[in-house]
Amino acid sequence: MIHEKKMNEITKKVLQNQTKKESLAVKNPFGEFDNFQFKKVEIPLDKIVQDTEVVMDKIRIGYEKLLEEEAKELVWMVQYNTIIKAYELAEKYVKEIDYTAEDIEDFCFALENTQRIPYLIPGPAGIYISALCNCVKDEEIKLKLSELKTEINLIGFRLPKGKRLVIEGDTGDFTGIGLEGGELVVEGNAKNWTGAGMRSGKILVKKNIGLHTGEWMMGGEIYVGGRVRGLGNIVEGKIFERDKLIYPGKVRYPNLYY
Amino acid sequence: MENNCYQKQVMAIYQFISDHLYFNRPDIEIKGEKYNSAILLGLITGLKKGKQLIIGEPGLGKTTSAEFVCSLIYQFPLGVIWGSEVSGHPEQTEEKIVGRPDLGKLNQGEEDVVWTNFSQVPVKIVDEINRLPETKQSMILDGVDRGNWEYLNEMIINEEYCLFATANYQDGGTNTIIAPLIDRFDTMVESRYPGPNLSFLIGKASRKDNILRHPKYEKDLNRILKSKISYEKKILKMEEICNAFGEYIYETLGIRPLTKKDREQIRSEMEGLEMDLDASAFVRMLLAELSFCDRYGQKRVVENCDEGCHYTGYLCYQIKNCASNRLPTSIKQYAQGLAWLLEDSEIDIEHIKSIVPYTLAHRIQWKDEILSQKERAKRNDPFAIFLAKEAVKTVAQRYREQSDHLKDALAIGSKIFQGEQLEPIEGDHPLYEEIKKDVQFRKN
Repeated sequence: MIHEKKMNEITKKVLQNQTKKESLAVKNPFGEFDNFQFKKVEIPLDKIVQDTEVVMDKIRIGYEKLLEEEAKELVWMVQYNTIIKAYELAEKYVKEIDYTAEDIEDFCFALENTQRIPYLIPGPAGIYISALCNCVKDEEIKLKLSELKTEINLIGFRLPKGKRLVIEGDTGDFTGIGLEGGELVVEGNAKNWTGAGMRSGKILVKKNIGLHTGEWMMGGEIYVGGRVRGLGNIVEGKIFERDKLIYPGKVRYPNLYY
Repeated sequence: MENNCYQKQVMAIYQFISDHLYFNRPDIEIKGEKYNSAILLGLITGLKKGKQLIIGEPGLGKTTSAEFVCSLIYQFPLGVIWGSEVSGHPEQTEEKIVGRPDLGKLNQGEEDVVWTNFSQVPVKIVDEINRLPETKQSMILDGVDRGNWEYLNEMIINEEYCLFATANYQDGGTNTIIAPLIDRFDTMVESRYPGPNLSFLIGKASRKDNILRHPKYEKDLNRILKSKISYEKKILKMEEICNAFGEYIYETLGIRPLTKKDREQIRSEMEGLEMDLDASAFVRMLLAELSFCDRYGQKRVVENCDEGCHYTGYLCYQIKNCASNRLPTSIKQYAQGLAWLLEDSEIDIEHIKSIVPYTLAHRIQWKDEILSQKERAKRNDPFAIFLAKEAVKTVAQRYREQSDHLKDALAIGSKIFQGEQLEPIEGDHPLYEEIKKDVQFRKN
């Protein structure tokens, strides 16, 4: 009897302690979500963003490799041999990537706006973009460069037949050099040496163009909506200024500023 | 869920008030059913021992709606309710609201208190509360909040009570209701114009309030209230008369008011209803937006956050004050009441979305620019309730977009809280930051 009483008292004490402990325990404010099983539903946009990021990384790595190679030259000089060597390298890297015209535009934007791409050197950047444009499956490529602070050189290098490249904004020097039958449209201004050494195809510059336009061009046509500041030594081909043929013709002369 | 048919009994009371006593138009839709917010939330106030502020134009039934609800939920004849009402006016005193010294006994050198009917009766109605000057509003703070009424070192505690207060829109004779008092109200509803046709009927019909009166029981109850027996005994004696009045109402009108036992049973049933995960996460999301400040740590009415904050798209940027701890309590209490009334087994997000605007409208202090932006918007509700409903809509939209992510963040939070080595989930909402703060504290 006494033993039973004692046992009861002990049980009571244990229960009291338990209740005390429970009430003093730190309450988990998220406790009710403990058993929540989250099923990740992938929405199409997630996949698109993910895929784009993978492609962008590959394009970026290719550009970095090109820069590494070209940095050996210390100062990047625009010489025909340098350009060809750089282009061949760029083409080699680019051919390993499966990308679209939109990815090229994203890369152009990323050139200036992300920390992930270390430096924008207008020459190699232009060569790399040209290689991207020439090797992409799409026939028409539109690049919005109007928001870039730097004008990119060498855009449209060796643009092959059947491709149309439209640039929104201005381009730098050597635009469309060595053009190989493609159509290059610049919806702004182009600087010096535009169309130099082009073999065939068409360059259309909506606004003004700089000096040495069409230097050593072997064929094709250059249409300029604004003013042509100066012509280069042209071998063959046609240049129009505001729909008026200025080369071949008697009105404009090579290496003269207008 | 256990069903004692109390829901049907309460809905019968709702229908009776709506059809015969308080002509109205429905103004709230819950799960496809339309109700009148003043009656519906009034009933929940009575059942959940809540506090409700009723606003509206003069003569549109603010006080009468509360009187009818109180009479049928607590079985008090209207005469007693009228006798226990406190009206707000500048000359109001503590002696008329709480209690006064027993002058007879005082002459004999004894100190005793004569408690007012207002402080003793479980149904409390303060008419035109905003005519009480700000300084006198503080007098009823404690009584309103806890049911404690103190006078001359004596105190009575109302174990069961509900409070309704009416307020006119601002005119020459009104004052603002002080922030601590307004925060103590669980909900705010508008007693609206019923439309010219129903209003015409009110004018044509004879007064309906007589059907809820019983002079004999009113006298008996007044006698008990005046008597010198202890407050606990008074409550027991009053209950007997109230039950008799309830029987009388059932015999004459065919509806059965609720006895104390019924009310207790209903409350215990309501207490058993918990929020489901969506309801809980949604309330947390809302509270985070109403209290978060990236710059100053939390919202404070004296601090104004400037432009340029990452969180300018959230409610925290639009409001001045911080949500009080009474807000989640009010939301849970009324959502429980609503879920119970609709015979649902748990509180879901629909209950919360329906209730929150009424618990929020009087508590939020909007920034002036937000008020001037939305002042002229087309709406059907009073400005404060309209703004609260809009706020709930925007938060609900945000919740729809990220509910799974948010619940996952809360689940991870729980795991970290229990000691697991995980990192809190990142997300673009103040709640993710709040989760981080809580688990960081736990980690440390």
